[in-house]
Amino acid sequence: MDKATLQQIEEKLMQAVTDIMSLDKNTVTAQTPLPELGIDSLGLVEIFVFIENNFKLQLLESGLTREDIKTIHSLACYVHTRL
Amino acid sequence: MSVIDYLIKKTTAAGNASQVVLMLDGQVEEAALRSCLGRLLNEFPLLQGKVARDYTLLPYWRIPSKYIENDLNLSVYHCEDLPPSKSALSLMEDGSNRPFKRENQHLAFHLVYTKNRQSWLAMTFDHRLLDARGAEAFIDLFQQYFVNNGNSMVTKDVCLTAPADLDNWKHKFSSGKTINRRLIALSKTSIRRLPVPDSDIKRGFKFHLICFDQKETKQIYENAYAQAGYLMEMPYLFATVTQIIHELFEKKGISGDSYMVPVSIDMRSAKDIKKELFFNYVSMFFFQIRVEFLKNRKILLKEIKRQMYEQVQLGIPAKLMEASALLRIAPLPILNRLFQLPVGGNIASFCCSNVGKSSYRFPDLMGTKIKNIFHMPRIPVPPGLGIFFNSFNGQLNAIITWLDGLLSDKEVDELKKNLINKL
Repeated sequence: MDKATLQQIEEKLMQAVTDIMSLDKNTVTAQTPLPELGIDSLGLVEIFVFIENNFKLQLLESGLTREDIKTIHSLACYVHTRL
Repeated sequence: MSVIDYLIKKTTAAGNASQVVLMLDGQVEEAALRSCLGRLLNEFPLLQGKVARDYTLLPYWRIPSKYIENDLNLSVYHCEDLPPSKSALSLMEDGSNRPFKRENQHLAFHLVYTKNRQSWLAMTFDHRLLDARGAEAFIDLFQQYFVNNGNSMVTKDVCLTAPADLDNWKHKFSSGKTINRRLIALSKTSIRRLPVPDSDIKRGFKFHLICFDQKETKQIYENAYAQAGYLMEMPYLFATVTQIIHELFEKKGISGDSYMVPVSIDMRSAKDIKKELFFNYVSMFFFQIRVEFLKNRKILLKEIKRQMYEQVQLGIPAKLMEASALLRIAPLPILNRLFQLPVGGNIASFCCSNVGKSSYRFPDLMGTKIKNIFHMPRIPVPPGLGIFFNSFNGQLNAIITWLDGLLSDKEVDELKKNLINKL
């Protein structure tokens, strides 16, 4: 299988965050800071589990920095570099 | 929720209730509050419902065909008239420990006029009808109702038809099996818990409130992000609580291999709360913390995050909700026993939760500025001890809850000091 593009990862993550947080799709952008989307520790862990299930990547205790999880875009970039 | 209510009533007289308290920077007018609140309660006959169980054995929330109008249970206190030993918090404590007047009454309000022309307004609520964030959302709805001069339109979005959730049996049995296996696995070690004082008297709960200002709260969150990772407030708060309670247990000579801690979590998003305001949507994580993990904060945080991740991956919180829907078919006394079987009656060492940001969206209530909002939950006995967090307007609150007689004043003081120092 071809490696997913950054855009594909970003789109998948946008959809996941929309579903996990029951948000209106129009209110979620890739540049919105995660806390502004209401994401807390439980929400973040749910996103990590989604990433493991979909991209086979374990992010818990992987050395993620605050900058890496600042927005959906920065998280998508991190996932993309790790694939 | 019904079984927990039954269990708490058996041991502490009042049921599975909690209290949301608003500290106000001014005095709300009693007559206006009474009038507007009374009218809002009339909009929801389900507030006078009760758990009913007909021939089918399946319990449901029966809404009365005839309901009492203006069924407002509001107590008003003036601190100037009270002895010096009675503080606003102790009045709230009394309110929290007082059973509802009738089987189908689930809300009680307490208005305390404190010195310096300030006031506290509290709502005691039955956990079968509202959970913590639902209670905040109900006060939020009241504020909207007040601002709109009692216009019924503000209540139209609230969903009043919670599904019975008793379909899809095969799936629920499968969830029940997973939860059962989990509980059996957790019960393999000896769990530490405090001995509940023997008494014929049904004891109430005591509360100690710690409020952190915005600057202190910011620092606590920065500590959490530095030690546990970005946005990992809950594991950080839980780790700190577990360590200070471990110190208390060690001093009291309580032995055992591990601590078992149910941490309640809300299964709704902020958007869902506005619609699904009534009934309880809280589920739980079960953490088992082995004593050896408590020596090192870094190892403890790693373990808490690992267990949290594993439970989300296995869908434990959702499965627990599904399994509890299945369990509702059993009669309460049997369910009470079943509930305690897997862990030999030692349900938990203590309880903990972080309600998170408040669902109340306004800076004021009836035109009076809100200084803070906090919760005073009653908890099952055993364990009879819990530490709960919530935040309002960038201020973190911690409330220590314990069964009267379980801890001495000195021990509570020490818990408070350690919590402040270690957060």
